[in-house]
Amino acid sequence: MTRVWLRSWNALAHRKSRTGTLVALMTLVATQLAAGDFAYVTNQNSQELSILDLDARTETARISIPGKPAGVAVDLKGHVFTVSPDSKVVRRLDAAGTILAAAQLDGGPIGVAYDARQNLIFVSDWYNARIWVMDAETLQTLQVLETGSAPAGLTVSEDGQWLASADRDSDQVSIFDLATLDLHLRPTVGARPFGLRFAPDGRLFVANVGTNDMTVLDPVSGEVLGTVKTGERPYGVAFALGRAFVTNQYGDSVSVIDLATLETITTIDVGEYPEGIDTTSDGATIVVANWFSNTVSLIDAATLEVVGEIETADGPRAFGTFIQQRN
Amino acid sequence: MRQLKYLLVVLGLILPGMAFAHGPSRQKVTVTAEVAADPAEVWSVIGNFHDMSWHPAVFETQGEGGNDLESVRVLVLGEAGGPTITESLYKYDADKMSYSYYIDDVAVEVLPVTNYSSHLTVKPRDGGGSLIEWRGAFYRGYPNNDPPAELNDEAAIAGVTAIYDAGMAALVERFGAP
Repeated sequence: MTRVWLRSWNALAHRKSRTGTLVALMTLVATQLAAGDFAYVTNQNSQELSILDLDARTETARISIPGKPAGVAVDLKGHVFTVSPDSKVVRRLDAAGTILAAAQLDGGPIGVAYDARQNLIFVSDWYNARIWVMDAETLQTLQVLETGSAPAGLTVSEDGQWLASADRDSDQVSIFDLATLDLHLRPTVGARPFGLRFAPDGRLFVANVGTNDMTVLDPVSGEVLGTVKTGERPYGVAFALGRAFVTNQYGDSVSVIDLATLETITTIDVGEYPEGIDTTSDGATIVVANWFSNTVSLIDAATLEVVGEIETADGPRAFGTFIQQRN
Repeated sequence: MRQLKYLLVVLGLILPGMAFAHGPSRQKVTVTAEVAADPAEVWSVIGNFHDMSWHPAVFETQGEGGNDLESVRVLVLGEAGGPTITESLYKYDADKMSYSYYIDDVAVEVLPVTNYSSHLTVKPRDGGGSLIEWRGAFYRGYPNNDPPAELNDEAAIAGVTAIYDAGMAALVERFGAP
């Protein structure tokens, strides 16, 4: 009897079954995907950051990030922010993975979001119901915002107006006005919201782990615009081509939802325990981190098929925005 | 007496919250075993969610619902009246010989984990026989910072690994090494 820490078997099994399709699609996709995008994937179990060249579909670097990193965000200047909950350290790296700055926090830092307009980052404190507001350059804490219990995911709206946190153990989100950093609203959502993101149209999508659904909110009024059924344990959400893509952690799948009708279009099988999810800069590809499989799946946002896989280090979470376009 | 009531009220308020919360870092364990019997034979023994009698630590499997999704089983460990683990089936695929379940309820003294889910799969082995794979994903038993040693990440991994190892050893004995 042999005991195996996953990596090998599962990744191999997955690749074996898809080799045929992969080879056939390789050339086609290589021409489609030329956005110059890189994925920065936090691997919590091996405590590393995988840098993936999404055009070449290879891992180009693996950077040691101690403290079990989970949260990640990228800025517009080629920086990457990582959050390590075990050691409670936030780091800023450049696009090549060189660590440029680090800040020691306390409590339970987990999620991170970046505000381009004010050059701030926000870090949630899972244990102490608060958000650190930090200067993205110096990583100095400027202010602390109060949330509900166990804030996890954070998101900034594309128009720069709102910051929202998923307050997991309060079954609510906290929405802050970014101009003043004042609390705007605390709407109730489903049970145990963990991941959330603003859609390009401004609506807020909140994945509820406890009720296996997603709450769609108007951030201005706090009104619930709809509730969408997902697979088991929805975790993260991203958007492309008028659709929402939700990772179902226990479903080993991604639910695809039409943004106009809020109907489920299809469910796509990916690797095991899919978590972080993000969209390439051209909006053509969805990238999903498969925590158990140690891979990312690439989904063609138009055909809704898995068109490739890239191996990562052990335990990819990529909890946040993790795709960046390099010039 | 009043103090006791007060205590119960406080516990009543706190415990549900504790059941939801979890540590910052999910752990994973995979244990595999190779046996001589073919997959269909192995699956006929371990593929019934409501019969965990193949595992030496399980005294009795209670509950009903067969292999339908959301079926709930209660594993009684060791002996009649022993500690229990309550589990729910959330995936079942007879063709792929695989099922997935999560723990609804277990005392951390019995198994020091929270938010535990697991998959059990039988596959054909290259060269004949079967490959049995058992994997779990879970958080440590202590949801907050600075866990005591018996409830930390390492204790959680050790606890789950011990269960899987014991089950696999029994299956190798039963079906023979390939």
